[in-house]
Amino acid sequence: MIMKKLLVFCSFIFVFNVFSQQDSILKLKEVVLIDNKLKAFSLTNSIIKLSDSVIQRNPTSLTELLRNNTTIYFKEYGKGMTSSASFRGTTSQQTAVIWNGININSQFNGQTDFNTINSFDFNSIAVRAGGGSVVYGSGAIGGTIHLNSYLDFEEKFSNTVRLNYGSYDTKGIHYKLNAGSDKISANVNFSRNQSENDYEYLGYNKKNENGSYENNSFSTLFGYKINTKNTLKFATHFFDGEKFFSGTIASPSRSKYEDYNTRNLLEWKYEGKSFISSSQVAYLTEKYKYFENKESDLFSYGEVKSLILKYDLFYKISENIKINPIVSHIQNRGIGTNVSETKRNISSLSILFKHSLLKKVDYEIGVRKEITSNYKSPLLYSIGVKYSPFKFYSVNANFSKNFRIPTFNDLYWEGSGNPDLNPEHSLQYEVNNGITYKNFELRITGFKTDLKDMLRWVPNEFGIWRPENTDLVSIYGLETSLNWEKKINAVRIDLNGNYTYTKSTNEITEKQLIYVPYHKFTSSLGVNIASFSLNYQYVFNGEVFTSSDNFYKLKEYGISNLSMDYTIRTKIKTILTFQVFNLENRPYQNLLSRPMPGRNYTINLTLNF
Amino acid sequence: MKLKKLYLLAFISSTLFFSCSSDDDVTREEALGAYENGIIVLNEGNFGTDNSEISFVSNDFSIVKNNVFNTVNTALALGDTGQDIGFYNNLAFIVLNNSQKIEVVDRYTMIHVATISSGLINPRYITFANGKGYVTNWGDGGSTTDDYIAVVDLTNYVVSSTIPVVEGPERILHNNNKLYVAHKGGYGQGNSVSVIDLSNNSVVSVTVGDVPNSLELVDNSLYVLCGGAPSWSATETTGELVKINILDNTTESKVFNGMVHPSNLDFESNNFYYTIDSKIYKMGLSDVELPNAELFSTENQGAYGIYSFAVNNDKIYIGDAKDYSSNGEVYAYSLTGTLLNSFIVGVSPSGIYFNN
Repeated sequence: MIMKKLLVFCSFIFVFNVFSQQDSILKLKEVVLIDNKLKAFSLTNSIIKLSDSVIQRNPTSLTELLRNNTTIYFKEYGKGMTSSASFRGTTSQQTAVIWNGININSQFNGQTDFNTINSFDFNSIAVRAGGGSVVYGSGAIGGTIHLNSYLDFEEKFSNTVRLNYGSYDTKGIHYKLNAGSDKISANVNFSRNQSENDYEYLGYNKKNENGSYENNSFSTLFGYKINTKNTLKFATHFFDGEKFFSGTIASPSRSKYEDYNTRNLLEWKYEGKSFISSSQVAYLTEKYKYFENKESDLFSYGEVKSLILKYDLFYKISENIKINPIVSHIQNRGIGTNVSETKRNISSLSILFKHSLLKKVDYEIGVRKEITSNYKSPLLYSIGVKYSPFKFYSVNANFSKNFRIPTFNDLYWEGSGNPDLNPEHSLQYEVNNGITYKNFELRITGFKTDLKDMLRWVPNEFGIWRPENTDLVSIYGLETSLNWEKKINAVRIDLNGNYTYTKSTNEITEKQLIYVPYHKFTSSLGVNIASFSLNYQYVFNGEVFTSSDNFYKLKEYGISNLSMDYTIRTKIKTILTFQVFNLENRPYQNLLSRPMPGRNYTINLTLNF
Repeated sequence: MKLKKLYLLAFISSTLFFSCSSDDDVTREEALGAYENGIIVLNEGNFGTDNSEISFVSNDFSIVKNNVFNTVNTALALGDTGQDIGFYNNLAFIVLNNSQKIEVVDRYTMIHVATISSGLINPRYITFANGKGYVTNWGDGGSTTDDYIAVVDLTNYVVSSTIPVVEGPERILHNNNKLYVAHKGGYGQGNSVSVIDLSNNSVVSVTVGDVPNSLELVDNSLYVLCGGAPSWSATETTGELVKINILDNTTESKVFNGMVHPSNLDFESNNFYYTIDSKIYKMGLSDVELPNAELFSTENQGAYGIYSFAVNNDKIYIGDAKDYSSNGEVYAYSLTGTLLNSFIVGVSPSGIYFNN
């Protein structure tokens, strides 16, 4: 049945050829990121960059991209539903999502719903493990996810159209425009996704009854080189989504949820001889509406508008010494069903310093202090050293203090919010070893994180639930990653594997944190022969506890995905991709009572012109 | 399938903890069922998760069984947020708030009989009268005007009609062809008891204190324990014990000193029992004043809140939800507050019932 639908779909898109045909000029170029810290001040952190081809062969939701390619655990209320991350054994609020250098975690609940981000809207997605609060602020404890767009000032005009159709009537269309000259650069992305999402709950003779979703997102990045020294950049990102809320296995649901987020960023950059000055102003809005009964007009909502002003001065004292002070001010204005209108102001000062010694040793130091009347703000810092004794081997270590500030809900929820909360804070130690030899790359990282003053909602003696700075958590673990690439004549093989062991213990109860697997493993094998390529992915997720006494748990699972594509290089470069997810048709859950889909298929058509 | 195994695993490990001799099981099978003559604990589980379950403790405390529903009905999960159990003849009606359903089981064998899955929106509590079930429903939590009593036809387990009532109907009790419904208030705070005459479904509202949370009928008096408006409401009020004369609906009230929020009223052998925070109080039926001192407190057990409470057969039972994620615990005390025994049960024990 599904195959028949796919065939109909294919025959439709092969006629679909209305876009003007124009050759794109592709050259190797240096790209300009707005968020330069990811490159300039992350010397001692492990960063995984998800390449364009990895993004292309994964589903469009950021959840699925990261679930299949990193060892981050995602708590998913079903496919396409609300999804939050646990990175290096931390909680959902301790992973920060950074859009062009700006922290976009919700002010209401301190986390990002990874299903409200379409990965195709960005040029590059990177995962930076470990603490990063000195640069990225609240929530950068377990790690940070970076969504970046970049500019390249050069003559070009290229379009990409991607259409996908798959199981459960899942449809998507994505359009990307990349145009520019030596003065102007423009980058426009549009995505639309929708799905009936009525997959079967394997083994229960039930379907996901109320799980359909649709969303539209739009992002742009414009750059204008006023002259050799001055550049203006303007970036936007809009997301508008509606999802019905899946029920549990035993319970139907009649709820729905709407998200509407906008992000705007204007930057003026001045590049002097020995310094780069960057002035930024950003305006972000986030709004949700929750309808308990989708048929009703009654809803609860929350809305936050944030204004961010930032000044960043990168100064080269000498070729080997760089210093970078950053001042910023954030104003958040929130209102909602459970939060009366509240304004919050936070100013911060960071100073980053970097020094290269004898070519083999680099070190960097950063400090940050926030000034606000809302909570006691700790001094945040990071110290990192990198030693590269040989060409093929480098070792680096870092030590940092990071934090997560209380959210609007934590502080201001009527009747329950606790205005006396302090930020959660962590001390983190990390040692990275990297071996690179020819086409082989191996990285082994040991990390330890001590979390203090962790927020938890607990009922007080009057039975009222309030957040408190109560928990102590100790985390340690080991991350390994391996990459190997080999080209034999026309055959290219690439192999990638990631494994993480995480022990995350509540120090009071001495139990593992819920929804933190001890083991997670992801791997992929790609084979490319001329116009054909084949990619096999295997993801193993160890068991997770679902109750804090570690009495109840979800079983471990392993699933694999297969992606095949064929490229036709004519005037229009056409890529036809066929994908099978959950090949083994294995039932699994990432959150108790929320089954994930069995074997499912997608077909994609990508046109580059 | 996975969930089934999970429950099974949980069950097996729980039985390892509490040695239960198989001989007991055999003798019990010969009776009405394995779950006769004991205490039934409803564990509500976590909102949004199908981990509500039933625990059973035999009257002599020798047998403790957890995950009873799924052990007996292996193909089924009880559901999301068990709110109340009502007993009618040989049947138990388990009201599942966030599953919007009632599971009907044989009260002694726990074998599934029927599911009532339509006509209920945020169901809360159940009672029975004239061969029908009456279930309080909040309707949509965000709406203050769609609350009702669902009338369940017990011959076919279908909601056959509804009786609209004001916002937030909670506990419900039947006496002499009349229903008494405490309007605790849903998401807000109520302050009334509806008296529904079942001969013509007419509704009379009796004003009581703020947030009536429990009801006890003694002779011709309905005692309504009102918790008072909580600290986060516009005006916090202290608790009241209101007595309604059911012959003429007149009321008299005893107001609690200071600012306290009592709950869990239970009447047993001429005495009232109720709780404030982690303290248990006792008051004689004819006492004029509310007691000043508590009978005992659960703080020795490390329990700083009482999640469920019941007095029966000269024993006081208290459910402790602990951190609302772990398995909870039920403590059994003598009427003077001596701890007799305690049992690990399921997640968030929210109701304690007696199946004799």
